[in-house]
Amino acid sequence: MRRLLLAFTIFFALVMSAAIPARADQTVWSGLVIAQNVQQPEPIPVELTRIERPLKELFGYNQFQVIGQSQKTLKTGQEDWLATSKFFGLHVDAQGESAAGYVLNLKLYKEKELLLETDAKLSKRSPLIIKGPQVGGGQLLLVLVVQ
Amino acid sequence: MKTFEEKWTAWLDGQLSGEELVEFETSLPDKAAAEAEKRDAKKLGVLLKRELGADVLRNEEFFSHQLQERLARESVEPPRKQAADVSTWWTIRRLFWTGTVSLALFLVFAVFVMREKNPAEQSQYLTQILNARVDPAISPNATISMFEAKEDHVTVLWTEGLQSLPSDYAAK
Repeated sequence: MRRLLLAFTIFFALVMSAAIPARADQTVWSGLVIAQNVQQPEPIPVELTRIERPLKELFGYNQFQVIGQSQKTLKTGQEDWLATSKFFGLHVDAQGESAAGYVLNLKLYKEKELLLETDAKLSKRSPLIIKGPQVGGGQLLLVLVVQ
Repeated sequence: MKTFEEKWTAWLDGQLSGEELVEFETSLPDKAAAEAEKRDAKKLGVLLKRELGADVLRNEEFFSHQLQERLARESVEPPRKQAADVSTWWTIRRLFWTGTVSLALFLVFAVFVMREKNPAEQSQYLTQILNARVDPAISPNATISMFEAKEDHVTVLWTEGLQSLPSDYAAK
């Protein structure tokens, strides 16, 4: 009788733990990526492996190089950070958290010049890719992923 | 001292002997009629014995039949007892566990059904672009569009006509 009761209690706890998602701090990876077509492409960076297929299919390039990146752990959902390369800067300003993700204000700078600004609700399950300006024979892409 | 009827019965049964027999037979008024009556009584006795014997046999058969019926009833009764036992299966304890298991199953299904609802509501879990703008002074011909690659759960902000830059800008 006691064993059965214990088994039921454990089972109930497992079910409830599955039902109630645990809240934990999330890390957002933001990167400046140069997409190019080259004869001998380098392996895709680890941070982009999750979205390798859509990157290649949507943009038609075979090599993706990270030229600037930032990894930020969000605790309050109000943080801001900067991912920079030599000429570009991506400023990310988190403006709150919801069940679906984070509300972000993104600004892409070329040196001190604002090229693009957008507001987005970044989902924890869904990466965001922004097609930036043409750079030489390639393309600048901005990528944000909740890890 | 035996009465005449007692001696008569004993004579008919052949249980008189010796002086008593001689004395009784001499006391009979009509010995031939008495002998005839004795023979008839013997015949009747044989007949009754035979008939009664047959009756006894029928009774045996009857009791045997009754016994067989009883045995048959008893052999049928255990399943009834089993049925009675089955009816007592739903004890309080078993009812409690049945309820508990049912509740557990309900919880499992409730959780999975709630989880299954998520894919249907997936759009709200895809990244959404609320707005986007470019500086028209820098990129006057720029256009902006957005779409979701739902298979890969990716949201894309697609710009066209942004100012092109030399390859030097690809430096880290």
